[in-house]
Amino acid sequence: MRVMLCAVAPALTAIVLGLLLGTIGDLTWGQYGYWLAPDSAIALSLALIGAGLVVLAMGLLMAFRAYRRANDFVAAAAELDDLLECNQEIVTFANLANPAVPERSRARRTPLFPVLWRRAIALFGGLDLRREFRLEVGAPLKRSSIFAGVVALAMLFATLGLVRAPTPESREAAKLRAIAQEIAKTATSSDDTALAGKIRAAADALENSKLPPAEKKKRIEDAMRQAEKAAEKRNNSQSGKNRGTGKSNAQSGNGGGKSQGQGNSSGAGTGEGKSGTGSGQNAGGNNPSPGKGSTGNNSGKNDGGKGTAKNDKNDQNKGDPSNVKLQNELAKAEAQAETADAKNPGPDNQPGDDKNQGGANKPGDKPDQKSGSQPDPNRPGDLPKPGANGDRNIPAAGGNPKNNKDMGSNLGDTHLGEMPTSTNAQRFLKPGEKGAGVDIKDARYVMFRLPGAPTSSSGGKTVLDTDRPKATTAYVNAPLAPTSDDAPPDERQLVPPRYRDMIH
Amino acid sequence: MGAAPQQVSPDQRVADFRKIFSRAESEVARVIVGHREVVRKLLTALFCGGHILIEGVPGLGKTLMVKAASETLGLSFKRIQFTPDLMPSDIIGTQVLTESDGLREFQFKPGPIFAHMVLGDEINRATPKTQSAVLEAMEEHQVTVFGTTYVLDPPYIVLATQNPIELEGTYPLPEAQMDRFIFKVVMGSPKPDELREILNRTTGTAQNKIQPLFEPARAPQAIEDLKGLVREVMVAEPLERYIISVIGGCTPGGPGAIPEVSQYLRFGPSPRGAQALILCAKVNALLAGRVSVSYDDIDDAIVPCLRHRLLLNFQAEAESVSSESILEQVIKRLKKPRT
Repeated sequence: MRVMLCAVAPALTAIVLGLLLGTIGDLTWGQYGYWLAPDSAIALSLALIGAGLVVLAMGLLMAFRAYRRANDFVAAAAELDDLLECNQEIVTFANLANPAVPERSRARRTPLFPVLWRRAIALFGGLDLRREFRLEVGAPLKRSSIFAGVVALAMLFATLGLVRAPTPESREAAKLRAIAQEIAKTATSSDDTALAGKIRAAADALENSKLPPAEKKKRIEDAMRQAEKAAEKRNNSQSGKNRGTGKSNAQSGNGGGKSQGQGNSSGAGTGEGKSGTGSGQNAGGNNPSPGKGSTGNNSGKNDGGKGTAKNDKNDQNKGDPSNVKLQNELAKAEAQAETADAKNPGPDNQPGDDKNQGGANKPGDKPDQKSGSQPDPNRPGDLPKPGANGDRNIPAAGGNPKNNKDMGSNLGDTHLGEMPTSTNAQRFLKPGEKGAGVDIKDARYVMFRLPGAPTSSSGGKTVLDTDRPKATTAYVNAPLAPTSDDAPPDERQLVPPRYRDMIH
Repeated sequence: MGAAPQQVSPDQRVADFRKIFSRAESEVARVIVGHREVVRKLLTALFCGGHILIEGVPGLGKTLMVKAASETLGLSFKRIQFTPDLMPSDIIGTQVLTESDGLREFQFKPGPIFAHMVLGDEINRATPKTQSAVLEAMEEHQVTVFGTTYVLDPPYIVLATQNPIELEGTYPLPEAQMDRFIFKVVMGSPKPDELREILNRTTGTAQNKIQPLFEPARAPQAIEDLKGLVREVMVAEPLERYIISVIGGCTPGGPGAIPEVSQYLRFGPSPRGAQALILCAKVNALLAGRVSVSYDDIDDAIVPCLRHRLLLNFQAEAESVSSESILEQVIKRLKKPRT
């Protein structure tokens, strides 16, 4: 009993916290705009419930063991022995007077057994069962409340670790899920259930970061289509009904004239309208009440008994607030998916694939948003490669000044403009000689071809030549002969900014 | 006192045991200052029917203690000083050619081993051959000379001493032979107060006379009755299991052996160790006025009963790990069975 009391409080605390995690979240961190991701919430909730059940099971197991021990003659004697501090005299007595094995017990007795008997009886005489085995509820509950506190603290810390400010996608997904739940609750047909399922799938897809944006969009569009289909179906069934019974008995309230007209109502009402003021004129209100209403959704006019209650589909959709809300949310979700698509270029958006030249960020236009076509200059894979494609990335010597326009290309540093294409330098110009100017100002890449290092067979040591003459005039590269195809790839390196002025 | 058990109630027998034990302790304490634990172990070993190995430097009063105990209990006492040239016949006795009424015959002349209490001083100085002669008498309570077996009168107890500081020219007892002693007691140096008391008693004119508890003729039977009472003390099955678990826990590779045991021991105690443990626990129970053994009685007996039965390995000796420390760990870690 005491064991169970110890186990009950923490177990119940854990289970209750696990079950009410959502409500607790709504009342606490939800108030401050934070949220617990559904996966984490489910995991935490399951963990808490599981822990509670485990503690409860352990408590039951220990209680069962205690019960069994209490039924064991010698074990119960041992319990009493401990309680009365009898130096195992009661255990020995129980062992030698065990009714379960009377023969064996008797064989072990010695002439001193009567002494033991008398001593055991004397010890039992001092035993007050009510005092010794009083059910103390306070202490076990106090102890268990400590454990319960520990469970609550563990939950608190776990929650603190898991609670996040929601991303726009998650927020949108949560809204969609809420709508899905609402639809599922009030579902009257299989279409509604299917719609709820689609919306949930769309919400899941929206949150799933591993899913490609195209797939997300697809699922959201599926949900939108399903929503439209469901709305349309509802409208059709409603309009069918109204077409058949579209007789509108317009009864004037004040004039007393009766008017009968044929209404073409596709509203949710039955088309039997009683309204109007004046004689013979009935102006149908736009009453969105579904079911058998007085006027239904008649937004048309019932004029002089020949009122035609017209109600187009869009009006009908507008009249269903949950549908409107759903459409809105789905549209938002789609927008979110598109935004995510723009944010994450993904593996498909390779530099060079994007032919949209306007892909670069424009100042002031969503500064946080990176263009999908912008390559990362630090990525080694984005360095210009030799060969056909690589040539396009090489600055052009003697380049076309038109190329300096910032076209927002993905081929290089868009800030600095298009990379000039290269021409092969052939030789250094002689001092004083003026060749064609190499327009590589502000270029980020320069291609060098270094001569092979002289090999020394004697293995001499390297000495820095500090006395070598330093250049006083600028050197300009002249075009070199084109390299053969089987030549090793040229070495490229970034020109440090401090040397850029030296290159003309 | 010392009456036949048939005429005395069990309660009275238990009370007599306690009284005799207590009086014997006080009588020995008239002569021996301090060493109460050693005296208690000596008397416990006597009532358990075992022998005791006392380890201590010379001059601590080992001989005096044994002599005082034998005098108190009214038992015969002999002392053998073990030397390397001591022969087995010097201890157990030999056939001597005698002549009486013109008839010559070999007559057995018993050696000093024929006494109720035998003190083997510095047993490790004798050769293994002589040691084994004593050890056989200890175990069998009989000696065989020229094909004739002579039974040693009960009660029979050998108190062997060992000098731990002199190892040159000694033959330390093999572990297998150490196992035959129920206890190994270490006798330490006296404390300053005790030393002052020793000086007062031994250098003055006052003489402390011991009052024997039994008449010499009745003493052996009285002691045997008390030994019988010890064996009547009851042990519950959970406590027997505990003793078994202690023995298993001290045996390398045994069930429930603690890591230190496997690390530092070569061999654990033998079943003789478990017997010693139970008997000693029974005496402890009687001394506490109980007729059944408790866990505390067993725990108190573990170190003196098992310390000389553990065979330490080289690592333990290198790390100065003692068998006592290992036993203390075993006592700490073993769980007491409840059923």
